[in-house]
Amino acid sequence: MPIQTTAPAPLSPVPFQIPAAFETTLPNGLRVVIFDEDRLPLVSYRLAFFSGDAHDPKEHNGLTAAMVSMMTEGTEDYSSRELAEKIERLGAGLNVSASDDFTIVSASTLSMYSADILDLIAEVVFRPTFPEQELDLYRRNTVENLKYQRSQPNFLANEQTSRLLYGSHPYATIAPKAADVEKLEREDLVSLHRSRLIPNNAVLVVVGNVDRDELLQKFEGHFADWPRGELPSVDEPNLPERSARTITIVDRPGSAQSNIVLANLGVKRTHPDYFPLLVMNQVLGAGASSRVFMNLREEKGYTYGAYTRMDMKRLAGDIEATAEVRTSVTGDSLKEFFYELNRIRDERAPNEELNDAKNYLTGVFPLRAETQEGMTGLILNQQLYGLPGDYLQSYRDNVAAVTADDVQRVACAHLHPESLAIVIVGDAGDVLPQIREYASDVEIFDTEAQPKDVSDYELSTDDADANISGTWQLSLDFQGQPVAVTLTVVQDGTSITGTLVTMLGEGEIKAGSVSGIKFSATAVTDLQGQTLELSINGKVTGDSMSGSITAPIVPDPLTFSGSRS
Amino acid sequence: MSETLKLPPLEVAEYTLDNGLRVVLNRDMAVPVVSIAVYYDVGSRNEREDRTGFAHLFEHMMFQGSDNIPKAGHFQHIMKAGGTMNGTTSSERTNYYETLPANQLPLGLWLESDRMRSLAVTQENLDNQREAVKEEKRLRYDNQPYGQIFDLINEMVYKNFANAHSTIGSMDHLDAASVEDVQEFFRVFYAPNNAVLVISGAFDPDEAKGLVETYFGDVPSQPLPTPLDVSEPTEVANNYREWEDKLAPFPAFLLGWKIPQRRTPESHALYLAGKLLYDGDSSRLYQKLVKGEESVIQLFGFTDERRGPSSIFVGAIPKPEKDLSKIRETIMHEIHDLATHGPTPDEMQKLHNQLYNDSVRMRQSSMSRAQQIAEFALYDGDPALINKELEELLAITPDSIRKTVAEYLDTENRALLDIVPAGKG
Repeated sequence: MPIQTTAPAPLSPVPFQIPAAFETTLPNGLRVVIFDEDRLPLVSYRLAFFSGDAHDPKEHNGLTAAMVSMMTEGTEDYSSRELAEKIERLGAGLNVSASDDFTIVSASTLSMYSADILDLIAEVVFRPTFPEQELDLYRRNTVENLKYQRSQPNFLANEQTSRLLYGSHPYATIAPKAADVEKLEREDLVSLHRSRLIPNNAVLVVVGNVDRDELLQKFEGHFADWPRGELPSVDEPNLPERSARTITIVDRPGSAQSNIVLANLGVKRTHPDYFPLLVMNQVLGAGASSRVFMNLREEKGYTYGAYTRMDMKRLAGDIEATAEVRTSVTGDSLKEFFYELNRIRDERAPNEELNDAKNYLTGVFPLRAETQEGMTGLILNQQLYGLPGDYLQSYRDNVAAVTADDVQRVACAHLHPESLAIVIVGDAGDVLPQIREYASDVEIFDTEAQPKDVSDYELSTDDADANISGTWQLSLDFQGQPVAVTLTVVQDGTSITGTLVTMLGEGEIKAGSVSGIKFSATAVTDLQGQTLELSINGKVTGDSMSGSITAPIVPDPLTFSGSRS
Repeated sequence: MSETLKLPPLEVAEYTLDNGLRVVLNRDMAVPVVSIAVYYDVGSRNEREDRTGFAHLFEHMMFQGSDNIPKAGHFQHIMKAGGTMNGTTSSERTNYYETLPANQLPLGLWLESDRMRSLAVTQENLDNQREAVKEEKRLRYDNQPYGQIFDLINEMVYKNFANAHSTIGSMDHLDAASVEDVQEFFRVFYAPNNAVLVISGAFDPDEAKGLVETYFGDVPSQPLPTPLDVSEPTEVANNYREWEDKLAPFPAFLLGWKIPQRRTPESHALYLAGKLLYDGDSSRLYQKLVKGEESVIQLFGFTDERRGPSSIFVGAIPKPEKDLSKIRETIMHEIHDLATHGPTPDEMQKLHNQLYNDSVRMRQSSMSRAQQIAEFALYDGDPALINKELEELLAITPDSIRKTVAEYLDTENRALLDIVPAGKG
């Protein structure tokens, strides 16, 4: 038989039907959804409440996160340890989590322990005690974790993007401050628990090998005495209107990479444009065969990955284009992003591209239903966002029905290249000149979210080149520890040579130059027998110098400052 | 109150093509999805001493095109069909896998067969992937706090070069690798008679067999590579090392022990002992260190089960200002307690339920079934072991756990890697 030289045709499609789930509402308003599947002896529970982090009281940022974490750290009948032992002795899992819009108790177990895990769910939901000692441990561990997050460029980019898009709405806040966490008191958790976990604002989804009638009887026992509460108000958000592009930079001096986020407000999850947007996003940037990936990575080689993504929450959403690129191609990357954002608005997508995107979305859908966790996620989302009853059954047809005109229409309606928020985490001094042309409105922050003076970063090209000859006594910040560095510079025109002396030894400066008040140089030093190349960037004002050193062994640039002796 | 659970056996049919390719079909029609796993019997353990990292570099080359598939085409074909895919390299094997809508089985088989038959090895692709691997090493090992400690402890536990050296390997060795090296490696190790093909999910067995014959039947076999000696002395190669980690924000340590090979009663017992020590919030060490003493930020442990001598590790990142030697004493004290008294009845019940649970969950996804079956087929020559593994683990007694922990863990024969944040000590 000859070797097949082109991709073989698929076999005839296999139908994939998801039967409808059973739904009912208990007298206290608790909505119950049961999806009975007997494939394997497993059962999954999700008890979800329609409020989350975004409903934190104004003066208590981080309260919901603390409450969900603490719900499994002690109850009236069991200590934190006993709970962990009870759950794991069943071979089961049980945890509580929160997102902006929802608070969710999740549990999965072998179906023979279905009743036991339900008892434990009830224990955690109705009888948590929030022990002081556990809360103290939570506060200390969370503050450590928040510190760590500030070292992550993604966190810094999201912090700014959310603030710019959502303004005064709680969606704008992605994490509490350390001070918020430190002032959390046990009474706050008790009070939130009382008002938040009410049956008439919740849905209980059960998926697996269960006996429906038996289960409903159990629910009577567990949930009949659970009183209704006052529904939280859900106001239409009042979000900032954007009329022009803005540039926001989080300065990480010496950063080798720029994390780019281009964002505008999008749509909430129930928007009628959902399916056309899904396909549009697939063509534009959702995957590794989408346009922005093919352009910025495959063609230009600017980055390891470039994508667009849509975040659709309950009340609002956003659309973002993101990439982590080498600092020197930050401006070029923006150019390519804008090219792609405009192209999908200005031109109809070719049929082949449209079909590839739709085939991916319809093909990958059953893969998500293969595990019980996946199936539970699909059904839960349907409930959380109030999607139509036949949503899962009609999903693939809805994707298939999207046309090239639809894609172009929603691109025009929901992508706004002229009023995007441009957020970049990187070296502000290097990045700003590359992207200055994209907006007149510029703001710069440090990694602690403190505003910086933009004029410090804008360098006029006709500044005379500084003279940085001499010996400089500098202090380098190495993970919070000051390290003394002596830099000796000999300047000849705009080129510099010299030495760099640290506690690790002496290095030679080569390939250095001065431009305006800025300078950059490469130093070569020996460290434990290995030759190490350091990249130094800085600026000089009078006898003061500041800047950063990047080394291949250190992830983040080390900042320094000092003066001429 | 320990209940028992009877799981119906998975359908496993095994046969061999004329060219020596071992094929296993695992049919499960629950969801119209199919997974394909191709496991080649080559890993870093097969590498020459002057070509460490080569097996992994080679894995990258497998995505660079073949006679009928352009560079990066494999990926594009899978995406457009609504599938997912990847490849990985370990000491033991190199695997390639995809999950697709059931009717795209021909596509997946065609893609795998084309590169098994006719990999495109060019200087340009090699140079390009060498750079990609270097980026990967920077990203995942050099540029991560604690990124190199698992490679370091392997060098301390194992003496035999085949076992001890890292999978990511030496960049100097990769620089020295030539197109001829790649071609030779492909010829020796990527032959059909050195591989296992598993298809799991929704398919018609006759149709699948026909497709396998069509696409793989004419890939020529090759003389098998010479068998490998992975034997080890009982003692670990090196008891203590201090490692200065430039990126680590806190001190940390890692303990490693050398243990018997996979699928022995000892290996099973130590896997269960490990779960009791470090797995989950109710584990002994979590309760002692994260909760009780509140001395540890992160605690972790795992077993590395190989065809030859294997290993088990326990590590911790303590909170600032905590005494590391005290934490290690606590760990060794718990191990000694397990070696003296064995697991409690409650702990045995937990283990049994977790084993049932893991076994049922593994069965849900066609990809996890395909991967486990491929390992049994490749390492043990018996894919049907997937239906016996659970029973074997359930048969391990508390006393055999006690004895095995006493022999292999409650001993001075272990490696300690001390990680010191550079610039602070």
